[in-house]
Amino acid sequence: MNLQEKLKILADSAKYDASCSSSGSGRNNTNGIGNASISGICHSFSSDGRCISLLKILLTNCCIFDCKYCLNRKSNVIPRAIFLPEEICEITINFYRRNYIEGLFLSSGIIKSPDYTMEQMIQTVSLLRHKYHFNGYIHAKAIPGASEKLLKNLGNLVDRMSANVELPTESGLQLLAPNKNHHAVQDIMKYVKINRSKNYVPAGQSTQMIIGATKENDLDIMKKSKQMYQNYHLKRVFYSAYVPINQDSMLPRLKEPPLKRENRLYQADWLLRYYHFEVEDLLDSNNPNFSLFLDPKSDYALRHLNEFPKEINRCSYYDLLKIPGIGVKSAKRILSSRKYFTIHFEDLKRLGVVLKRAKYFILCDGKYFVDQNLFQKHFIEANLVLEEQPKMIQNHEQLRLF
Amino acid sequence: MNQVYLYDGSFVSLCHLIYYLLQHHITPFSIKDCNYSCNLLEEEIYLSVPEDSLLFSKIIQGIGRFAFQVMYRVFLSNEEQKELLLYYFLRNGVKYRSKIVYQRNLNCVCKCLKINQYVAHELHKMKGFLRFRELENQVLYAEMEPTNHILFDLSLHFQKRLKQEFWIIKDVKRKLFSIYDKKRFYILQENEFVFPILESESEQKMRELWKTFYQTIAIQERTNERCRKNFMPKKYWKYITEVQEL
Repeated sequence: MNLQEKLKILADSAKYDASCSSSGSGRNNTNGIGNASISGICHSFSSDGRCISLLKILLTNCCIFDCKYCLNRKSNVIPRAIFLPEEICEITINFYRRNYIEGLFLSSGIIKSPDYTMEQMIQTVSLLRHKYHFNGYIHAKAIPGASEKLLKNLGNLVDRMSANVELPTESGLQLLAPNKNHHAVQDIMKYVKINRSKNYVPAGQSTQMIIGATKENDLDIMKKSKQMYQNYHLKRVFYSAYVPINQDSMLPRLKEPPLKRENRLYQADWLLRYYHFEVEDLLDSNNPNFSLFLDPKSDYALRHLNEFPKEINRCSYYDLLKIPGIGVKSAKRILSSRKYFTIHFEDLKRLGVVLKRAKYFILCDGKYFVDQNLFQKHFIEANLVLEEQPKMIQNHEQLRLF
Repeated sequence: MNQVYLYDGSFVSLCHLIYYLLQHHITPFSIKDCNYSCNLLEEEIYLSVPEDSLLFSKIIQGIGRFAFQVMYRVFLSNEEQKELLLYYFLRNGVKYRSKIVYQRNLNCVCKCLKINQYVAHELHKMKGFLRFRELENQVLYAEMEPTNHILFDLSLHFQKRLKQEFWIIKDVKRKLFSIYDKKRFYILQENEFVFPILESESEQKMRELWKTFYQTIAIQERTNERCRKNFMPKKYWKYITEVQEL
């Protein structure tokens, strides 16, 4: 089997991992090749619109586990391949020199035992760092169940190390991935959190959940995310809409992956991390799922309409962040600008506010954008949904084309 | 007559000119670089402005480091009236001092900040989208056609990243080369520098490998052409290996 065929098989097996971020590490170039950029750099975008910044491959797609949702499960009949450490290094260095990639994302199916697999990965990464003097970004997946000594060794070499929780609840994991142990993943996250330093996993850890393969609702998912952000200081939780690749009685039958739902979860995730929202603000047991027609923030604003409209020239930073159409940047701009002049509607556009959403929820210098009598739920809701509509129709048509 | 003031095309001389105009309370109709040819209603004026080696630090003291960086980035941009924009930016800078960057209600400030962001974004994008080819003698060679003049800042990035390589970056539209010799880089005009482009043996193979990877990594069920073009505008595709032929 030549290199090209191997790359094809092992990249194909790795593509369902959503994480491709290359930010958070400022590794310097010490007379070798490459450095890491603190902001991360996207080098390309594939036809599904996802960024490609890392060479995302598996060491091998042979696996002793039989997880129902996974392409590489033991019971699937697919071509299997295994990379030699030297081969991975050759591809990585050559791609990196040509500026195709920002670094390496190395994951693996489990061969023989978790420890053995981890050792193989360490060997590869170590070769890259020490023989080829590669200082670019490396993201490695830790194998649940491997010993702490190996976790330590791998973490010293890479920028980011992570383990996937795969499913939001323990019961879901037991159902679909009977070989996997919920606690083994948490042990890794705990270990990385405690030991993280400038030299050990400098870019932190992330994780991934599959959305729509089991029956969990959005509330369960968001609660799980919140808990993980708090307990393990994760940089990111990735949500991956379930793509039906395997046939199994345990798995739901979907026509297409729940992309809109995934989008809503990401929006809510940002609200939790940067906008000081709580899960309870966004969802509760009466409506445990996000609306597909409105983004979570607009939805929140409509349900708490008594707090609005807010006066742009006076309300606090946290109140500004609660207004749909105003983000972290524009909120900060508003704060720094309103010291020097009174903000009117025509200034807001210059400050980077998305007026088509924000205008319903704000007062500028005591004025509403139309007659204030129109400040009513049904009026605002209808308009917001209408704004969203053309976009959704367009996307829908595009999906059908292919 | 509309008075058009000319400068020699460099940032230093532009700053000198604007400073001079402000000192003498002259409001120009326009400011252009010396390649500009005037029309019937315009009158060219080329001032010989006395040189001031402390000018940059004077400006930085006046409006702050960030605002000065904004001015430089605007100068690098492709905006048609950028010189006049900078004139008004600095004129307001005299009044508002370092608070100038918060005065987004002023048209010139708002525009300058937008252009600043645009140039910075393009620079960042180019750090990812630039594609090197390996030539026969191990030299890496890349071509690009960015909207703004980002060759210098881009070279700074690759100087750190590809420290132990020889590389050449060509700005096709501006006919400029940046050449790195493992110590520092030089910016040269096209006519000063000619070399043959012969690709190395393994180049074709690596390109094929990369294309294979690129095509494999996409998930068919999620195809979203619009999203791809949003992030990777078509104007860059000409020089991006994996999408050149699409």
